[in-house]
Amino acid sequence: MIDRILASRQSQLALFALLAFAVPLLLSGNRYFAFIAGITLVHVLWASGMNLLYGYTGLMPLMFAGIAGISSYLVVGLTSIGWSFWLAMPVGALAASLVGVVLGLPALRLKGFYFTLCSLVIQTVITLAFVYFVNLTNGDTGISQIPLPTLPGGASLHGLPYDLVLAALAVIGVFVLIRLVDSGFGRRLIAVREDDELAETLGIGVTRQKLTAFFVGSLYAGIGGAFYTPYVGFISPRSFDVLISLNVWLMVAFGGRGTIWGPVIGAVLLAPVPFLLQDYYMIKDVVYGLLIIGVIVLLPAGIVGGLVRRPKPDPEIVPATVGEGAR
Amino acid sequence: MSDATLIILLSTLTTGLMLGVIFSLVAVGVTIIYGSIWMPNAANGQFFLLASLFVWSATVSFGLHPAFAALLVIGASVPLSYLLEATLVRRFYDVPNRNISYFVLTLGITQILAGIFSITYGVWSDQFQIPPIVAGVTMIGPFPIANNRLAAMLIAGALLAALFALLRYHKYGRALRAVFQNRDAAALRGVDVRGIYRMSFVLGNAVVFAGGVLFACAYSFDLTVAWTMAITAFAIMIIGGPGSVLGALVIGIVFGFTQAIVSIFASPTVAAFSYLGAMLVILLFKPSGLFAR
Amino acid sequence: MTRHMSTAVLAAALVAAAAGSAAGQESVKVGFVTELTGPWAFFGSSCVAGLKLAESTLNPAGKRKLEFVTIDNQTQPAQAVAAARNLDVQSKVIALSGPTSSDTALAMYGYAEQNKVPFVVPVAAFPQLTKPGTRYTFRLEPNAAGWGYAIVQFVAKQKPGAKIALVYSDYALMRAIAAGLKYQAPKSGVKIEPEIIFPQGSNDATVQAAQVRAANPDWVVVIGAGGFDNTLTNQLLDIGIKAEQIIHPFGITTQVKNWGKRSVGSLYGTFFDANLPELTAEGKKFVEDFRAANKRQPSYVENYCYVTAQVIRRVIDADPGAGDDREKFRAGMAALNTKESTSNIPIAFDKNGARKEYMYFMQIQDVTEDGYKSKQVYYTEWDPEVIPVYELVK
Repeated sequence: MIDRILASRQSQLALFALLAFAVPLLLSGNRYFAFIAGITLVHVLWASGMNLLYGYTGLMPLMFAGIAGISSYLVVGLTSIGWSFWLAMPVGALAASLVGVVLGLPALRLKGFYFTLCSLVIQTVITLAFVYFVNLTNGDTGISQIPLPTLPGGASLHGLPYDLVLAALAVIGVFVLIRLVDSGFGRRLIAVREDDELAETLGIGVTRQKLTAFFVGSLYAGIGGAFYTPYVGFISPRSFDVLISLNVWLMVAFGGRGTIWGPVIGAVLLAPVPFLLQDYYMIKDVVYGLLIIGVIVLLPAGIVGGLVRRPKPDPEIVPATVGEGAR
Repeated sequence: MSDATLIILLSTLTTGLMLGVIFSLVAVGVTIIYGSIWMPNAANGQFFLLASLFVWSATVSFGLHPAFAALLVIGASVPLSYLLEATLVRRFYDVPNRNISYFVLTLGITQILAGIFSITYGVWSDQFQIPPIVAGVTMIGPFPIANNRLAAMLIAGALLAALFALLRYHKYGRALRAVFQNRDAAALRGVDVRGIYRMSFVLGNAVVFAGGVLFACAYSFDLTVAWTMAITAFAIMIIGGPGSVLGALVIGIVFGFTQAIVSIFASPTVAAFSYLGAMLVILLFKPSGLFAR
Repeated sequence: MTRHMSTAVLAAALVAAAAGSAAGQESVKVGFVTELTGPWAFFGSSCVAGLKLAESTLNPAGKRKLEFVTIDNQTQPAQAVAAARNLDVQSKVIALSGPTSSDTALAMYGYAEQNKVPFVVPVAAFPQLTKPGTRYTFRLEPNAAGWGYAIVQFVAKQKPGAKIALVYSDYALMRAIAAGLKYQAPKSGVKIEPEIIFPQGSNDATVQAAQVRAANPDWVVVIGAGGFDNTLTNQLLDIGIKAEQIIHPFGITTQVKNWGKRSVGSLYGTFFDANLPELTAEGKKFVEDFRAANKRQPSYVENYCYVTAQVIRRVIDADPGAGDDREKFRAGMAALNTKESTSNIPIAFDKNGARKEYMYFMQIQDVTEDGYKSKQVYYTEWDPEVIPVYELVK
């Protein structure tokens, strides 16, 4: 009975929405745990965006954090010259999406893993640029005391209401992803992921699909980056460096790429780790590394991909062509 | 030509060569492993650093002669590679999209090594320097160069030449290339594919270790060198064409000279931007790399 | 004397009784968020080593217990903010302290000022930590733009009209030093040529060293970070720059040891050095104890963290209420007028939480296996706003 209810995506989404809103409410007495929950919700959004690209399109963009950073710096810059956050946020996110499309161009020529390596270098360039253009970004010093978004009436968005906004964003993000994946666009993306030459001969415009995926995925990165910024109150190039990209990607791989809920679970499990292990700094990195190795050795398709679907290997999660095709 | 101009010219030449041979060594190590096993070793930067740090410990803490320490550390990479191969690498040889699996795996190893370094070496010092293998300075015209750097450069050059000869003319090299090109066909012709895989993993890591050791001889370093080197090696491999040793060699040298030359005319930061930018442009026009076979 | 003590004991007992109903004999907690892992781990760990020495004498019988809760920030600003929030909300600390890196300190600065938590910065030199309008942040270390100012003062005094080459890594701290130096140079008739910036992650500086030599400057100001600081110095010496021509704006023990014997004659700036002639008895004991515990001599990083603990103790001793009330603690910091126990340098903060600033210049005399010798060649002090530091470095 419960199985059947949970089988439909609507009820899964409803359950997720319930949890996403309930957790900040339950934790509202402790701003520290509420803060961790808020950061986790931003990561749910990011992981869903990364999932569209990595899970459904088969592209592994390690410049994801850099794109989020572009939106973040733009929003901070625009609000500092007097724009409202609510105007700056869509502008920043859209600009990040456009940059994401441009940076996705190599993916049209490079297949699978070659694009991953290329994106690693792109991310490095973005980080170098954040450090180098001191006048725009304040270099590696970072920007402190970022003002909170103001609400109509002059009050600022903070505390529980901010957490709930983040919860709403995460829910909307997952909802949009479900709609996209279930649409014709989603099926075309999977076709591209499985074999883009075949997809091309079937009349699917591979270029258009990939660039659209980059636009949407980068939009997730950008919106997440815009809301993350005032929430934390501080950004620097290291807030958006390659390690952050790798972390978001790991959440997708860990949870199960190409499934809706895998990356969400990955984000929920991994995003709080650095905060909860704060007292165990001696072993934190080693534990994290062992966790990664454990998953890839024991659950190569991720938690959801490995546990839930073990009986019958799903064609969705065996993308044999990723990577080996560049010659 | 005035002395000042000559000094700048010669310094550019030696810097380009020095950085070039180190970059080449690491990129060759990375490309041998990627080209055969499809393993993009994200931990290569940490392996490189591991070698540098071990030489530092052996010389500074245990008082060994740097040359002896260097050989010891490069030798130590062999059992280490065998161990990793037997426990973690081997199990993915037949996985369909194993390059992604390997990437994740080596990220895990990176995390573990970085964590260990940060609570050991990271607490012991903020910078590491090993005593010179050869002391003194040689004058090339008006330009003084430390004998130690000169030695590191020559050894790296000799290693590269030996590697190139090995891969070109030796039986192992031919078998390796056969596996590079087509694993199944090579297996049909009686090549021991798994043996070649293991051999490549061991050889590739030994080369990366040698790069780390020579780097530590020529420069002071700290823990941040790991990521810089990992990214640089990947960039060189992509431009040169994954699996192409010649590509890694040539592009490594080009990278070294780019960094040296551009920084005369513009700032060193522009130099970093310029070669990463060049990489993106090349990728757009020749995605399989300049020296792809 | 005895009467004083008994009054003190009585006062302490009264305070304890007064506090008893609400807080009991709870210790005063201070959150110490610092770099125990990540690229800056060496500085954070050194700082904690200094703090540890202070802690051994920090809680004599009869005084309310002062406790430091140390959390690693992974040299990540976002983690530093999270840790600050953790200590503020969970541990209910009276104040925050700890960071040794400018970006983590700046991230915590934002949190402290927004949430009205007193923040005592031991070692982070970025000027904006004490910018106008700062209320809750107090910093012991002079700001980095000021260091640049001090270097020019020193050079101009040695040789009017001197020419210096400026080479530095592209890090916030180094840029701030360079900004102060570049501002003051024309005012003091000092020429800068050439000026070379290295991006983070640089390995080689031979070509730039050749350019420096070609320009034939009187001094070379070398501002490197980590391993590259040493490579840069070595390559300048390799190419024929004399040790006496090199000025390092700062020198901690590992740096000086790695510069090595060939750098004998080079100059470095500092705020505390084991070789200073006028250390107090406690200062000398601190140096010896630190050397015994850590097998190297302490430098200014360790000293500032040692002193930070004592400063906090003094604020709580002066006003017992400061242990339970952040506003009172802040007022206590603002009103503080004391001296560093190790060197007798005065500590008092201006309206922005900046100190009256000062700097020593030392010349390296000898470098051996277990330490180094250097002698003080110059001392200067200045008002933090003698140059427009907060406009020079945003």
